Amino acid sequence: MSKVEFKNAQKAFGAVKVIEGLSLEIPHGSFAVLLGPSGCGKSTLLRMIAGLEKLTGGEVAIAGKRVNDVHPRDRDIAMVFQNYALYPTMKVRENIAFNLEIQKLEKREIERRVSEAADILNLRPFLDRYPKELSGGQRQRVAMGRALVREAGVFLFDEPLSNLDAKLRAHMRVEIRQLHERLGATTLYVTHDQIEAMTMADIIVLLDKGAIVQVGTPDEVYEKPNSVYVADFIGSPSMNFFDGEIEADGEEVRFRAANLSIPLEARYRGQAGKSVKLGVRPNDLHFAADGAFKGEVILSETTGAEVQIHVRIRDSDVVAVAPRTERRVHGEAVALSVPPGKVHIFDAQSERRIEPQ
Amino acid sequence: MSAATNSGIKRSRRHIGDHPLPWLLPLILLLVTFTIYPFFYNVWLSFHEFAPLSRSLEYVGLQNWSQLLGDTRFWQSLSITLAYFVVALTLELVIGMCIALLLDADEPGFGLLRALLTMNLVIPPAIVGYMYLLMEDPQFGVISFVLQMFGLVDTSTPILSSPSLALAGVLLAEIWQWTPFMVLILLAGLRSLPTEPYEAAMIDGASAFQTFWRLTLPMMWKVIAIAVLIRGIDLFRVFDYVFVMTSGGPGTATYTLSYYSWQQTFSFIKWGYGATLSLVTLIIVLVVANIFVKFAKVRW
Ligand SMILES: Nc1ncnc2c1ncn2[C@@H]1O[C@H](COP(=O)(O)OP(=O)(O)OP(=O)(O)O)[C@@H](O)[C@H]1O
Ligand SMILES: [Mg+2]
Repeated sequence: MSKVEFKNAQKAFGAVKVIEGLSLEIPHGSFAVLLGPSGCGKSTLLRMIAGLEKLTGGEVAIAGKRVNDVHPRDRDIAMVFQNYALYPTMKVRENIAFNLEIQKLEKREIERRVSEAADILNLRPFLDRYPKELSGGQRQRVAMGRALVREAGVFLFDEPLSNLDAKLRAHMRVEIRQLHERLGATTLYVTHDQIEAMTMADIIVLLDKGAIVQVGTPDEVYEKPNSVYVADFIGSPSMNFFDGEIEADGEEVRFRAANLSIPLEARYRGQAGKSVKLGVRPNDLHFAADGAFKGEVILSETTGAEVQIHVRIRDSDVVAVAPRTERRVHGEAVALSVPPGKVHIFDAQSERRIEPQ
Repeated sequence: MSAATNSGIKRSRRHIGDHPLPWLLPLILLLVTFTIYPFFYNVWLSFHEFAPLSRSLEYVGLQNWSQLLGDTRFWQSLSITLAYFVVALTLELVIGMCIALLLDADEPGFGLLRALLTMNLVIPPAIVGYMYLLMEDPQFGVISFVLQMFGLVDTSTPILSSPSLALAGVLLAEIWQWTPFMVLILLAGLRSLPTEPYEAAMIDGASAFQTFWRLTLPMMWKVIAIAVLIRGIDLFRVFDYVFVMTSGGPGTATYTLSYYSWQQTFSFIKWGYGATLSLVTLIIVLVVANIFVKFAKVRW
C-alpha cells in the first residue's frame, strides 16, 4: 500500500513561500496528474515526496507513514526528473541499470529489464553511448528508462514526455499507464499536455501558486470546473467567457449581456439578478442560423481533423471548434448557438462556479 | 571530450585571428630566455666537466652518462625518490580526498575552515622543515614525545637519525604541508560537480559509499589526474625538507635525486655530472608524466 498524503504541507525557499499549507491524498494505486502553470510548484511537490526538498512545515506521508525525515533511498520511489539528472560518467546502459545493480539483482535479470526498456523507448542503438552524446529527447528517454525498469511503490514523473515527438509520446502514454497498472503503484505525473492529463489520469490535481484549486476525475474537472481558473486551464482551446447577468422573465431564465441573450436551465432561477461569467467550451458552440452569438469570422485554423474558427462578437473573440468540413471564410457573418446544458456559470466576483440543484 | 574527438573537429573556446604571432611573441621570448636556453645549456653541460686544475669546462664526451649508469649512489637515490614519491602522493591524495569530502558542505563555518587550509601552504618549505626537525627531536620534540608515549619509538632511536625512520620523518613534514594543496584542488572540483546526478542516485538507492565510487570518483577523474600530475612533478624534485632536516642522512637513507645532484654540482663542483643527474631527473619526469597523461586521458 503506498498512498501518498500531504498534510498542511509547506515549503519556503528562504523568504519565498512556494507551497502554503497544502493537503492532498492520492489513494494507493491511483494515477494522479498534477496540472498548473509554470512556476506553480509542481516539481517542488514531487521533490517533497521524493525527499529531495525538506518541508518547512506540515507532513508528507507514504503508505500512512510520516516520511518527512526518511532518506530518499528508503522511500521506495522511482522518479523521472524534469532536467533528466542522468549520470554523466555512465553509459546509457549503466544509467538505466544503476538501481538494479544496487539492488544486487542477477546479471541476467538486469540485462533482460534493460533491454526491455530499451525496446520500449527505442534506445537500443544508444545503449553504449554517454549522455552527452545524445539528443535532448534521447536523454529524456534514458531518464524514462531508469524509471521503467524499477518496481517502486511510488512513481514520480516530472514532465517525462515533454521533449518527445508526437508518435513516441502517444506510445509512451500507453506504456506508462501499463507500467502503473502492472505494478499497482501510486503515480504522480506532472504535465502541461492536456491530452496526457485527460487520457492518463485517475485524478487530476489543479494547482495555482502552490495551492490546490481543484481535485477530481478528468470528467469532473472538465465538465464541472469549480472556478474560472480551472475552466480556463482545462481544455484546449480554452473556454470562452462572457460577462453579464442572469434574468428571470416569467417562465424563462436567461443570461443577458450587452448584445447577447441565451436561455439557461430553470435551475438558475434562484440566481436571478446576479452578475455572472458565462463560459462555453469551443466544441459546444455550433453553427446555427438562429444562434445567439452573432459575429464575423476573423480566422480559421485547421488542426487536422478539426477546424478552430475565431469569431469576433462585438469586442470579444470567441473560438468554436467544428469538423474540418465546416469551411468559413474571413469576414463571413455567422451565428453560433450553445445547448442550455452546456454552459458554465461562475460568480462574477469570486469566480467560483454556481451550481444550483 | 569524446564528442569532439569522435568527429575530429576541435572546438576552441576563443577565436584566434589569422596573425597570432604578435600575441605569441612575448611568450616565446620568455620561454627562450628562461627555459629553452638553460635547457640546452644543461644538455651541453652534461658532455663537459669542470676541471679544477685548468679551472674551466672541458669536453668529456659520454663519460658523465656512462658514470651515471654504474653509479650505485644514483640508483639508490632514484629508488629513495620513488619511494618518497609514491608514499607522499598516495597519502596526500587519500587524506586530501577525505578532508575535501568532509569540507564539501554549505553550512556556515565551512568557508572559514576551507580558508584555514591555505595556512600550511604559505609557510616556506624550509621553515616547515625546521619545525619538524624540532618536533622530531628525541629530547624535546613533541612528535617524538607522543610516539614514545605510545611506545612506538624509544629515546634511543631519534627519528631523523635512524636509517629506517628518517625518510618517514621527512615525509611527515611533506604530507603535513602539501595535503592541504590536494584538499584545495579536490574541493574546487567537488564544489563544481552538478547536484542533479546525486539526487538521482539517492532515488536509485545508492549508499554514500556507492555514490562515491560510482559517481563522485568518475566525475572527479580529471581533477584528480591534474592534482596528481602537478603534485607528482613537484614531488620528484623534493629538496628543501631533505636539505634542512637530514642532509641526505643518516648515511644515504634520505638521499633524493635532486639532493644528490645539488650536492654533486655545488658541494663537489661536478657541474657536468650534476647537470647529467638533473637531466635524467627531467627525462624520468617527462616520461612518467606523459605516460600518465595518456592513461589518465587528461586533455590539455
Ligand atoms: N531552490 C529554489 N530557491 C528559490 N526558489 C525556488 C527554488 N526552487 C524553486 N523555486 C521557486 O518555486 C516555485 C515553484 O517551482 P517549481 O519548480 O516547483 O515549479 P513548476 O510548477 O515545476 O514549474 P514548471 O512547470 O516550469 O516546471 C517557482 O516560483 C520557483 O521560482
Ligand atoms: Mg517543474
